[in-house]
Amino acid sequence: MATLSEKTVRTVEQPRNLERYAYLFMRFSGIALLILAVGHMMIQHVLNSSGNLTIQFVADQWNSWGWRTYDMFLLIFAVAHGVNGLRNVLEDYIHNDKIMAPIKIFLGIFIVVTILWAGVAIATFDSAQAREFHKVLSEAVQGN
Amino acid sequence: MTSLLITLRESIRYRGRSGHYSWIAHRLSGLAILGFLVLHVWDTANANYAPGLYAWSIDLFKHPFFAVGEIGIMAAVLYHAFNGIRITILDFKPEWWKYQRSSAIFVFILFVVLFAPIGIYMFDEFLHRCTEAGAACWKIPRVSDYREAYRLYLDTRGG
Repeated sequence: MATLSEKTVRTVEQPRNLERYAYLFMRFSGIALLILAVGHMMIQHVLNSSGNLTIQFVADQWNSWGWRTYDMFLLIFAVAHGVNGLRNVLEDYIHNDKIMAPIKIFLGIFIVVTILWAGVAIATFDSAQAREFHKVLSEAVQGN
Repeated sequence: MTSLLITLRESIRYRGRSGHYSWIAHRLSGLAILGFLVLHVWDTANANYAPGLYAWSIDLFKHPFFAVGEIGIMAAVLYHAFNGIRITILDFKPEWWKYQRSSAIFVFILFVVLFAPIGIYMFDEFLHRCTEAGAACWKIPRVSDYREAYRLYLDTRGG
C-alpha cells in the first residue's frame, strides 16, 4: 500500500526519434558553446577588440591550426544550435504542417550549406596572401 | 495580424513570473544571437572568398551602430549561456525543479554581475576610439575603395 511519503516513480518510454536527438543535441551543444561561444566573445571582443580588427589579425590567428580547429567547432555547434532553436520557436507559433514542413527542409539545408561554405573558408584561407593584401590595403585606404 | 497581436500581448501578460521572464529573455537573446551569427559567419567566410568585401565589412562594423550592437550581443550571449545551463541542469535533475525560481533569479544576478564590468569596459573602449577618430568615427566606408585595393593587390601579384 502506498503512503503519502512514498516516492512515486513513473517510467516514461523515450522514443528514439529525431526530435529526441535534437533535444539532446541542444543540451550538449549548449554546454560546449558555454566554453566555445563565451570564450570566443571574451577573446575576440574583450581581450582583443573589433575596433582594431584587420584582415592581418585574421591572417595571424588562422595561421595556427589550433585557432582553425576552435573556430570550426564553434561554427558547427553554433549554427546547428541556433538554427534548430529558431525551428523550435517557429514550431510554437506555426501549427500548419504544410507550412512547417518546407520551412524545416529549408532550415536543414541552410545549416549544411552554411557549415560547408564557412568550413571550407576556414580550412583553405591563405594567411600569406591575406597579409600581402593587408599591406596593399593599408596603403590604399586611409586610416586602415 | 490579430493573432500575432494576441500572441505578443498574451506572451507578456501570461503570469508565469520568474520562469516566464527567463523564457522570454532566453528566446529573444537566442534570436538576436542567431541574427548576428548568420551575418557574422557568412561575412567572415568572405575573408577567404572575397577579401576586399570582407575588409570593407570589418571597417563598417567599427561604426557606432555596430559597436553598440556588439555590446548587446555580448549581453545576449552571456544571459543565454547561463540560463541555458540552468535549463539543462533542471532537465536532467527534475528533483531540483523546486529551485527553479531561485535559480532563475541567481542566473539573472550572475548575468548582471558579469556583464556590467564587461559592458562598461567595451563601451569605454568604444568611446576612446571614437573620440580619437573624431568625425571619421561616423564615416561609412566605401566598398569601392576596398574593391580597388583588392584589384591593385591582384595586379601586384600577377605582375
